[in-house]
Amino acid sequence: MASSANNDRPNHRTARAFCLTSAFWFAAAASFGMIGAGYLIAPDFMANIGWLHFGKARPMHVNLMLFGFVTPGLLAAAFYYVPKLLRTALYSEKLGVFTAILWNITLPIGVVGLAQGRSQGREYAEWPWSVDMLIVVLFALVIFNLVMTVRRRLEPIIYVSIWYVCAAVILTGTTYCIGNVIWKPSTGALLGIPDAILLWFYGHNVFGLLLTPLGLGVAYYVLPLATRSPLYSHTLSLIGFWSLIVVYTHIGTHHLLQVPVPTWLKTIAIVDSVAMVIPVMVFLINIWYTVQGKLGTIHADIGAKFVFTGTIYYFFVNIQGSMMALPQVQRVTHFNNWVVGHAHIGVLGFAGVVAIGGIYYVLPKITGRPLYSRFLADLQYWLLLIGVTGFAVVLTIVGLIQGNAWLNGETVYRVLPEIHLYYILRASLGVFIISGAYIGLYNIFRTLYFNPGAATACE
Amino acid sequence: MRMTPTAIFIGALAILAAVVFVMVFWPYAQRDMTPSEIFRPRTLVEAEGRAIYIANGCVYCHSQSIRTFDWGHGAERIAQAGDYVSDEPILLGSQRTGVDLSQEGGEHPDDWHIAHFINPRYTRPNSIMPPFRWLGLEKINTLTRYIQALGLKQADQRMGRQTYWKKEAIQAYEAGPVYNVKWLAEHVPAGWRHIPNPYPTTAAGLMRGRRVYADFCIGCHGPIGDGMGDAQPWIYPPPLNFTILKDRQISGGILYYQIMNGITGTAMPYFKRELESQKIWEVGNYVAVYFINQSDANTAPHGIDSAWEP
Repeated sequence: MASSANNDRPNHRTARAFCLTSAFWFAAAASFGMIGAGYLIAPDFMANIGWLHFGKARPMHVNLMLFGFVTPGLLAAAFYYVPKLLRTALYSEKLGVFTAILWNITLPIGVVGLAQGRSQGREYAEWPWSVDMLIVVLFALVIFNLVMTVRRRLEPIIYVSIWYVCAAVILTGTTYCIGNVIWKPSTGALLGIPDAILLWFYGHNVFGLLLTPLGLGVAYYVLPLATRSPLYSHTLSLIGFWSLIVVYTHIGTHHLLQVPVPTWLKTIAIVDSVAMVIPVMVFLINIWYTVQGKLGTIHADIGAKFVFTGTIYYFFVNIQGSMMALPQVQRVTHFNNWVVGHAHIGVLGFAGVVAIGGIYYVLPKITGRPLYSRFLADLQYWLLLIGVTGFAVVLTIVGLIQGNAWLNGETVYRVLPEIHLYYILRASLGVFIISGAYIGLYNIFRTLYFNPGAATACE
Repeated sequence: MRMTPTAIFIGALAILAAVVFVMVFWPYAQRDMTPSEIFRPRTLVEAEGRAIYIANGCVYCHSQSIRTFDWGHGAERIAQAGDYVSDEPILLGSQRTGVDLSQEGGEHPDDWHIAHFINPRYTRPNSIMPPFRWLGLEKINTLTRYIQALGLKQADQRMGRQTYWKKEAIQAYEAGPVYNVKWLAEHVPAGWRHIPNPYPTTAAGLMRGRRVYADFCIGCHGPIGDGMGDAQPWIYPPPLNFTILKDRQISGGILYYQIMNGITGTAMPYFKRELESQKIWEVGNYVAVYFINQSDANTAPHGIDSAWEP
């Protein structure tokens, strides 16, 4: 249905703009990550650059990955498939392009704010208040555009991908306001322990209510279509969707198991963290059964290949996450690099890889021409695969060394020489990831502009 | 079930509202903001220092959250909700790339912190903290005020101890090296003073001692033990020059005790958390052999020889 509907040639300018936004900020965010990794190896290597030392490069890296790379990347595909699945056009391409432009104005303001030290000091909620407000506006614009598109639909049945996109933007628009305490512009925080509870409710839901549903939306769109297979089960789609919203929202407090917060809150967080296997396995069973026996088809389509790989990381990150919520496990894993590894599997391995897959899947349909280079896309695939898997292995090893040494009474300082080598390995693997990011940026840019067309493309 | 826009939007928001009520609003409504027994409000300059701490992302590497099973820095005080009642935002942190700072106040005197901020490797050779010289001395001083208040009333108590002994240590230092060395030795309990290093000097032991020295001591006492390490310009009283200690009755016991316990008031920290017995004896003997040029290792009185001795 994708290619045949191109008669009236919608220009998809919004989706194009979001593809480019995502690719650009992936490269930028990876650069900041690389700088951070460098500091951990040689803390004097960029000594006395006050606006870019580790404590500033890290929130730039994290926030740009979340709000610059993954979110726009997943939205890029959504801006293409939502109208497509509803047999209509996007409500307003103008508004969509404006949203993308505002997005690219907001992020540099945020980065400059962090560089100036205007961080609010709360993880994932660092952006200063002015940037928070801009992000709320951005979400409002996206919600408005999508809701109006849904209202104008010609297709009566709303496909599961659209449930996820709608829920993601509306829920995150809400939790972003609450989590950033936007009614208190001076600090953007509550007082004392309730601040920690709110922060981790919000922080975990950046992943749970934004990246995950957007990512699952892309997977539900790309994989059945690429394999030309009907979705395995509507019932499982329903169970997966509703249980995700119910369960994911409960688990933020598992970041605070070793902190004086009410025990009942910790209990709920642990129980629901384990219960995360329900929405996760329901989704995976549904999508993996859908593509059963079609791995060859997936392999042939670079977009689907990325997305399918992302679902495997989704499996790992969630099994790992459920395990880490167990207090006995967390005694070892908390406060060290194990968690950093976990975060990279989730945000890059799952959500990021799915976002890139979504972009590569819709780009040829948007431009009406194949990707600029299938070879570069494959190269990027392997660079990211090696990079993020290597991250998972190396950071898990470091985490185990740190966590067990600390439990055994070693001081943080004593363990530093032992983990130095792993920081070097981690930065080396970062070179794979950053190369993948820049190659992706080039490939996506050339697909959209100066694309010589089918003649020179590999496919 | 038929998924209409209404079902999606209202359903999702209703679930979210219910969960926010239970998981966020309810604990907020039930919050206990009673200050703990160590709580006191921060002074203006301490609050200003905290803002510098937040602006520079110190929270990404330093937790402020002591757990029931911690051993390291500040582990004597397990965190309670009442310790955080003036924190907005709360800075629990999620990583220990560096140490927990809940009870950092008064662990070191101010001059140690200044040297450490100028470049952390001046006082801690293996540290991977970026240097903060670029902040400028004024901001470093303000930040130090916040760091020295971490632990609140308990920090004040420790700071009182630092201030008292700093005065004493400066007086002793300014009275000249003869008096200073005597003063330092006299504050070691008598039992320790008369214990020689019970283990014989071995080449392997000296090599291990050298490594401990390079990891822990070299920043202040310098590569040749003359007290002219990188930290020296920032520290007063300055780091001890080991090369003047010959024939001044510096026993292995005195060295051991000073390394284990530190000299409060000076930048010399205690190493009892970081170095086990063997490491302390061996670094002490390394200093005695190479820098003092006089070691009492394996001299009388010593008890039954240890089974490992060559």
